[in-house]
Amino acid sequence: MTARWRLGLFAGAVLILTAAAGVIAAHMPAFGVPASHYGPAVNAIIPAARHATNMVAAVNFDVRGLDTLGEECILVCAATGAVVLLRGARGESISADAGRVPGRAVLRRTDATVILCRIAVSLTLVYGIYMALHGTITPGGGFQGGVVIASGLMLVYLGDGYALWRRMVPSVAMALLEGGGAFLFVAAAAIPLALGGDALANMLPLGQPKDLFSGGLIMLANDCVALSVTGSFGLLLLEFMEETRSPAEDPVPDEEDP
Amino acid sequence: MSWLIGSVFAIVAVTGLLVVLSRDPKRQVFALGANGLALTTLFFVLQAPDVGLSEIVVNTVLTPALFLMTLAAVAMNSVSR
Repeated sequence: MTARWRLGLFAGAVLILTAAAGVIAAHMPAFGVPASHYGPAVNAIIPAARHATNMVAAVNFDVRGLDTLGEECILVCAATGAVVLLRGARGESISADAGRVPGRAVLRRTDATVILCRIAVSLTLVYGIYMALHGTITPGGGFQGGVVIASGLMLVYLGDGYALWRRMVPSVAMALLEGGGAFLFVAAAAIPLALGGDALANMLPLGQPKDLFSGGLIMLANDCVALSVTGSFGLLLLEFMEETRSPAEDPVPDEEDP
Repeated sequence: MSWLIGSVFAIVAVTGLLVVLSRDPKRQVFALGANGLALTTLFFVLQAPDVGLSEIVVNTVLTPALFLMTLAAVAMNSVSR
């Protein structure tokens, strides 16, 4: 295909797609106008039915809680798959030496960086835990809290280096968090089912609206997801970081020869 | 549509364009982070703080961090071979 043909094809596609996009744009609802009745319905029903004030969390963890359970399992499977792939190519061993790209200067951290990172780590971790715990009442929730905690763990590496980071974030702990959170979430769905109700049925006391312990199962499910997300992302970061280390002495055992 | 939403849309468009136009992968990662920050602002302005909180961590910290580690690993591997 010559360049002229390609340009002609491009021009034709642009003409047709622009016309089509124009037609679609003309028929779209105006900007900011609610197009569905779902939002107002949720706003009208949930505060009384579930004593929750964060509608997003109430929808995610109660109204369509089973979908969230599925998403949670997808995340766990994806993180586990990535870990298996990376470890399969590298082995289980942890290397102590940083890999080096030749020609790149390695600068020492200044004291200010270390101090700032240590302060930021504690604040970020507290904020992540706060966000996960208060998912029922304020914006945020399990996933957001979990990723905030996981990104806070990265600050340990930024401030204090790889060795301390590996000691503070052991991969077994991350794996336990990941699997344990997901297991608790599945248990929260299965126990009402075993008692003869619906999966993820909200049978816990609902509490006072705007209180930390409100919304019943919503808070519990949020915290399960927070644990699992922290573990998943922590494990992912750990495995990716290990890829940037120089290879350890003992190589991966070769696959058995036939 | 208020001027605030309009200007944030413009910033999102500009930063998105910068991601596409930067050719060096390392610069592209940082452009991606800036685009994530702009998108976060847009979500907050459009009153979707839940999405904004996910966006700011995933798109300005985790994704760039994973990309940078991958780039470092690739650079190290291509040198050692």
